[in-house]
Amino acid sequence: MIIRILLLLGLGAIGFFIFLRRNRLPIHIMTVFLLIAVGAVAVIFPDITQDAANVVGVGRGADLVMYIAIVAVMFVLLHYYTKFVELQRQVTELTRELAILRAEVERVAPPAPGNERAS
Amino acid sequence: MPDRSETWVVIAAFNEGKVIHDVVAEVVAAGWPVALVDDGSRDNTAEAARMPGVSVLRHRVNLGQGAALQTGIDYALRRGARSIVTFDADGQHNCEDIPALVDALADADVALGSRFLGKQVEGASQRRVAMLKTATAVSNSLSGMKLTDAHCGMRAFRASAAPALRITQDRMAHASELLRKIKTSGLRVVEVPVTVRYTEHSMSKGQGGIQAVRILFDYFFRT
Repeated sequence: MIIRILLLLGLGAIGFFIFLRRNRLPIHIMTVFLLIAVGAVAVIFPDITQDAANVVGVGRGADLVMYIAIVAVMFVLLHYYTKFVELQRQVTELTRELAILRAEVERVAPPAPGNERAS
Repeated sequence: MPDRSETWVVIAAFNEGKVIHDVVAEVVAAGWPVALVDDGSRDNTAEAARMPGVSVLRHRVNLGQGAALQTGIDYALRRGARSIVTFDADGQHNCEDIPALVDALADADVALGSRFLGKQVEGASQRRVAMLKTATAVSNSLSGMKLTDAHCGMRAFRASAAPALRITQDRMAHASELLRKIKTSGLRVVEVPVTVRYTEHSMSKGQGGIQAVRILFDYFFRT
């Protein structure tokens, strides 16, 4: 079926991309490849998701996959949101330190008139 | 008269090139040392404010009023300030109100300027006054304090209170953050009447209804 080929190609592309950027710890790579493998199995043998859905009490396998995917995406969003807030805090800290340092430097050695750094 | 050189006036300015020179000159003429924080302005704010008696600090990128004020406060403390006054850059505050704020620190840790305590609000529309009153009510219910005006930019506090009042809200939610920190740290606070001049310029820089939503979002979700 065409959809299986498309999904497998997508998973393969993600795996290739991760492989190219393999500067992380081996455990990260392994986790990603494991997830991709689970995805690939689910694509090739969809009945497995149906069996899993029956076990946990969801009607269809596709529904189970979607529920898991939604929770996973929300988790990723939260992760990046915390990262973003932390990054902003760091930018604030650095910008503040720079401003204070430059003011201190200018106090000791005032900039020549007309030679101020434009921003 | 106490030595004015120990009280630093911190002014956070963003794109205030048109008015900042006069605002700063007035404060300097009154004898207060000024820490002017140019919060990544795209105009000539920093150059216009540069004059003897003023320390100009520049944020390379725009961070927001809360962050800019804290930068100025950090710098003033580094220069040995005994007390800090925050002052708006748009010309809405009157520097003749500063001595009353500083005097109030004799038996308080924090002195908050209030637009609604006796003195008049010049040039504010009814709609604006209503909005400010609403903001005050919301802020009072958040902080658990009973103030007549919660979001006046003119305040004074002792250097010893500065660590407890450290601003982590980079943008406008710092005003509510400050009140929360006053409350939780048990600092002594008084309100001092101040005059506010609403000009066409300061009105254009004011906070509208949409921004209020963002401030509340910051207050609750960004700590």
